[in-house]
Amino acid sequence: MRYLPLLFALSALYGQNPSAPDGATKADWPSYGGTPLAWRYSALDQVNASNVKKLAPAWMLQTGDYDQGLQSTPIVVDGVLYLSTTHAQVFAADAVTGKVLWHYKYPVPRNASGNIQNRGVAVGAGKVFVATFDSYLVAIDQKTGREAWKVAVNDARQCGCNITAAPLLVKDKVVVGSAGGDSAFRGYITAFDAKTGHLAWRFYTIPGTGEKGNETWKGDSWRFGGGATWMTGSFDPSLNLIYWGTGNAASDMYANNRFSGVGEGANLYTSSVVALDADTGKIKWHYQEIPKDVWDYDSAYECLLIDREVKGRMRKLLVHINKSGYTWVLDRTNGELIGVYPVVEFHTWLTGMTEDGKILGRHEPVEDKPTLICPGPAGGKSWNQVAYSPRTGLMYTPVIETCSNSIAREQEAVEGRGFLGGSWSTDPPPGESIHSHIDAYDPVTGKRQWSVRYPDLMLASMLATAGDLVFTGDPDGNFFALDARTGSKLWNFQTGAGHRGSAVSYSVNGRQYIATPTGWGSIAGNGLGRAATEGPAPRGGSALIVFALPEDVK
Amino acid sequence: MKRVLLFVMFSAVCFGQNAAVTKGLDIYNKTCGTGYCHGVGGTAGGAPRVAARGFDDAYVMQVVRLGIPHTGMPAFGTMERADLLAVVAYVDSLNGVTPPANPNLGAGPVRPKLSAEAQKGREYFADQVRGMTRCSVCHQADGLGFPVTLPLKTIPANLAELVQIKTPELETATAEGDTFPALALDKNGAQPKVYDLTTPPPVLRTFAKGSITFKADSAWKHADMLKPYSEQELELILVFLRAVSKP
Repeated sequence: MRYLPLLFALSALYGQNPSAPDGATKADWPSYGGTPLAWRYSALDQVNASNVKKLAPAWMLQTGDYDQGLQSTPIVVDGVLYLSTTHAQVFAADAVTGKVLWHYKYPVPRNASGNIQNRGVAVGAGKVFVATFDSYLVAIDQKTGREAWKVAVNDARQCGCNITAAPLLVKDKVVVGSAGGDSAFRGYITAFDAKTGHLAWRFYTIPGTGEKGNETWKGDSWRFGGGATWMTGSFDPSLNLIYWGTGNAASDMYANNRFSGVGEGANLYTSSVVALDADTGKIKWHYQEIPKDVWDYDSAYECLLIDREVKGRMRKLLVHINKSGYTWVLDRTNGELIGVYPVVEFHTWLTGMTEDGKILGRHEPVEDKPTLICPGPAGGKSWNQVAYSPRTGLMYTPVIETCSNSIAREQEAVEGRGFLGGSWSTDPPPGESIHSHIDAYDPVTGKRQWSVRYPDLMLASMLATAGDLVFTGDPDGNFFALDARTGSKLWNFQTGAGHRGSAVSYSVNGRQYIATPTGWGSIAGNGLGRAATEGPAPRGGSALIVFALPEDVK
Repeated sequence: MKRVLLFVMFSAVCFGQNAAVTKGLDIYNKTCGTGYCHGVGGTAGGAPRVAARGFDDAYVMQVVRLGIPHTGMPAFGTMERADLLAVVAYVDSLNGVTPPANPNLGAGPVRPKLSAEAQKGREYFADQVRGMTRCSVCHQADGLGFPVTLPLKTIPANLAELVQIKTPELETATAEGDTFPALALDKNGAQPKVYDLTTPPPVLRTFAKGSITFKADSAWKHADMLKPYSEQELELILVFLRAVSKP
């Protein structure tokens, strides 16, 4: 009870609703985004601005699976840490000592090729769930590491698709998306019974014949229209709704063969946020951020679910950054647009946006000559995630500033084959060098509170803690802590390999730990690696490094 | 004149090679030449430049087939052989290499072309629009689908035979409080493994020894799985299966 007055004080300050769902993690880090609200915020405050300088390594785990670095988000439940690697190997380790309790090795098919990476597991219902590069979903017994069930989400050789994202556990179901939207592929979100692996439902991000929204596609183009769901969604238990971002329409840069001009919206539900009933997978609402996308501006990134006061009224919000470098703020009960603001400095793909979200002055790739457009298909942010602190009321965002000379090209769809409908280079913004910045925003108004510029590309997720710290890492191997209120650097540790994963915080027996994956990789990581500065490419590897205050520090 | 004649002869000799390079350029542009990867003309995109690097034929072939570990370069060893050779020929050409003439280059897949009917049947067999109710969710043929069942060797002679297919190998399993139609892969090993056929797609489930029991026979019927298809579609699927099955 004695905490209540303090909670109310904070609520008054930042317009929080005291009865709002709490997105903070405590001792565990139970879900990909911390909780299914995706705040990436830990309520632990043992490590804070006054003692963070004393943070020291407690243990490390070298996975041995070094291809494509370590892009994963560890999950921690009851003192055990679960970690997936590129080839869908999964480790369970004692979260205090790092001792490996079990190690599951997904059998790699002969001649495995394509987009092999993995960004995390889901844990619950006595199982650990991992999705694979050949489009399987696997459930592993949480205690023994024995495979419990395995089901094919799709035929990877046929669909040109694969799964890189962490699954999301929603009540008794495990929900998983799919990558593949730059191929001739039709996206979906699929739910399986967590206990048995039985199919529960599938939602196609592109409506089929006879379904509402199908009329926004020309002819048969909906069959291979993209809309991949290549990152992990969010879940609001109070509304029983799952939120998921969808990828670009395909072919990416050439829309003439898919845009029907009929109905409201264009190429639904690509480059959109969809809200689905968690039990049935039926669509409740959608918001299309980029109608008729021709820039490869996926809306696939994380959906941050927060409750905040807007114009004197408490609203249930969904804050969502799109590859275009714009952030949409939606009412998550009905998809109503609350606001939209840019986080990138260079956004030449449009001349402006109306208050109701209509894009003005579209600057599109053309067929006969390269057109410089910012951001390029790498996006104003990559898939690494933002963090939100209810203490500061700020959203911490990694932003990258790159542009592309893009050309559109008409292309025929061949099922499962590349379907980009164009090509592009990676170029610096006009009069600038490629660079990035970490910003702190009021997530509702988009007012930037502070910004720190970095010469290289920041492709690791943000972690915010109640110690008013923000942790992240850079391509050179530095893992560091910023003051959540000012952005000033308080601590730095050279981990020896580039950062492309997502750090987490947890505690066991009252001791707080900060765990970060290290090891450079991924399409954007390999493609952009050292685009900004001179020097050797960011180093690969695959190690988890876990920090804590020495036992004698209080 | 002499020069022209020489050029004509040279062109004739290299015609097969040029066709491969042209074909390779097309595949390269769609697969390797995107901005995510090596860029138009091999001038680099997200991935390194591949033009004018002094690569030789063997190196290009090795990298295309096997990829480069720890980088974004995937292995394309599973590509259609003719496509793979064509891409290699094109990347060779960017490096001033003329690989040994190969009469098969540009000739396309070795397998005889499917008839229009068989091709249509192939599409129905693995039709993504049907989601989990397509044949290929349980059967594998012509490189499509999953070999949950034994390889399809004896193809039903007609629709009536297809509908009457019996599945005596299916049993009814009970485990972890569930009862379900099961195709057992390993009943008595240390970790019994079965396909659970409750609802497509099949789930490969592994149990602790002694925690699963079996009863002969099952209420599961193959005929029920045919219902999403029309009779005409099933006929065409049989045409396809006959065309690709090895007796």
